Amino acid sequence: MAEVEETLKRIQTHKGVIGTIVVNAEGIPIRTTLDNSTTVQYAGLLHQLTMKARSTVRDIDPQNDLTFLRIRSKKHEIMVAPGRSGSSPLVVQWHQSTCVFFLG
Amino acid sequence: MVSYSKETQTPADTQTHTQAKPGCCVCVRACVAEEEEEEEEMADPKPAEDSQEEKADEEEKQEEVLPKELTEEEKMHLLNSEEFMAFFDRGSRIVERALSERVDVCFDYSGRDLEDREGEMQAGAKMSLSRVFSDERWSKNRVVTCLDWSPQYPELLVASYNSNDDAPHEPDGVALVWNMKYKKTTPEYTFHCQSAVMSAAFARFHPNLIVGGTYSGQIVLWDNRSNKRTSVQRTPLSASAHTHPVYCVNVVGTENAHNLISISTDGKMCSWNLDMLSQPQDSLELVFKQSKAVAVTSMAFPLGDVNNFVVGSEDGSLYTACRHGSKAGISDVFDGHHGPVTGLSCHSAGGPVDFSHLFISASFDWTVKLWTTKSTRPLYLFEDSCDYVYDVMWSPTHPALFACVDGSGRLDLWNLNNDTEVPSASVVVDGSPALNRVRWAHSGREIATGDSDGQVLVYDVGEKICVPKADEWTRFVHTLVEINENRDEGDELAAQRLLA
Repeated sequence: MAEVEETLKRIQTHKGVIGTIVVNAEGIPIRTTLDNSTTVQYAGLLHQLTMKARSTVRDIDPQNDLTFLRIRSKKHEIMVAPGRSGSSPLVVQWHQSTCVFFLG
Repeated sequence: MVSYSKETQTPADTQTHTQAKPGCCVCVRACVAEEEEEEEEMADPKPAEDSQEEKADEEEKQEEVLPKELTEEEKMHLLNSEEFMAFFDRGSRIVERALSERVDVCFDYSGRDLEDREGEMQAGAKMSLSRVFSDERWSKNRVVTCLDWSPQYPELLVASYNSNDDAPHEPDGVALVWNMKYKKTTPEYTFHCQSAVMSAAFARFHPNLIVGGTYSGQIVLWDNRSNKRTSVQRTPLSASAHTHPVYCVNVVGTENAHNLISISTDGKMCSWNLDMLSQPQDSLELVFKQSKAVAVTSMAFPLGDVNNFVVGSEDGSLYTACRHGSKAGISDVFDGHHGPVTGLSCHSAGGPVDFSHLFISASFDWTVKLWTTKSTRPLYLFEDSCDYVYDVMWSPTHPALFACVDGSGRLDLWNLNNDTEVPSASVVVDGSPALNRVRWAHSGREIATGDSDGQVLVYDVGEKICVPKADEWTRFVHTLVEINENRDEGDELAAQRLLA
């Protein structure tokens, strides 16, 4: 448990990271360093996007699976590291005006 | 109130975010209801955006209905679950690597002011520092006791550490696996055990296992597939195994027939099967002349040999021994050193000529000696150091090159084809900590050294030095002939002086 906190703290203090959010498989935030409204909003939106990305990968090749998703926009970069499909939590981080998102 | 204006962003550095023009980041900005106010303030919002905004608002309202709150208890429960731990370990590892990479694929070479790029380190002709691995929590204040490069993944390096006197509550023994490939500064894997780890090695035919020999005599086995940081298997602390510190562990043999060999400082040598560490397959007491047990501090197997090996002991003597056969045990004694033997290395650069009878030893008596198994007198004495020499190793690719480290922070590379009096390349580590271990990477191009402050430093060796040319082997044959002649002359002179 303490290791999780330590790792989260380390990632959060990494250069350029603005925020970190941990969300579960249904998109419900568990841990966050951002304010509530942002957290809720992003959790929902990115959850859907990641689900879509994953289903796309799976449709193309059923034995394949999404391992990492990175969205680069002009202001932000979003990193999503999905877990195995099944219930694993979701972590969202901001990096360099980036949102990093672990999806379970 | 969420705001996406520039003020909340981190100060711009080398990223290519241009000023947000109104209407560029619609997808992001339009999502929050409050954004409407900002949008209106910006010049000329296009009508298309408005409709997009509305749609987004609707979605947003729908979104607001969906997510339910979890209670604190439920959250804690989730965070503590096994699945989460496993997933988080994997996910955070990937993200940390991604965060550490500074590659910008969107970089625009036209028209943007570039910040100063980091100047590439001057690749010295000889040796240049490539990485320094150190962990605030796990490696500080501990001495690096052993290093080993992975045979399967050339970028992985395991370093074992002894106890941290300043932190009595932390485990005494730590082994960290470092990854050269990524720029992340934290270890790939962290392993603990209850007793200080004196030697560590990747199990050669099992890519997931790491073997450690500890101060208490236990051999521990760590597995990187398990989520635990503690060992998955341990040898018993009994008289059938080891009860003294184990400084040497090595996996010898072939894929189908291999054993883990361990020798402790009371002279006991055990061979183990990696699947079952509850008792040794075979054990042998290394005694010299039926009485004196050999306090083994280092061991080396010649290339390709699984039966005969060389050991160095605390009293400075060197012995050859064999594992099986009628004469199992110590065979020959060498003249040795004047102080405990700290490192042994058998020649391992395969090539047109076989030099596997050669080995070098390092000792507290400030010298490194070159030996051949065919003679009990040393072939050559390297006396360039002014401090305890802690470790020595032949290059795995170059037949005449070896490295040694000493207590004054010096890492020396000796090329015997060039000069046998002075090292061909030498570097002193910043701060001059005592360097305890040195290990060439399997490619022969990099060299790792561990110091007494818990740092592992990896140096890139210049091509001119470490890459052997085709004639290196034949040149080494000539060098050896010269060395032999000098030795014989030296002996004759000494004999004459005695007579006169």
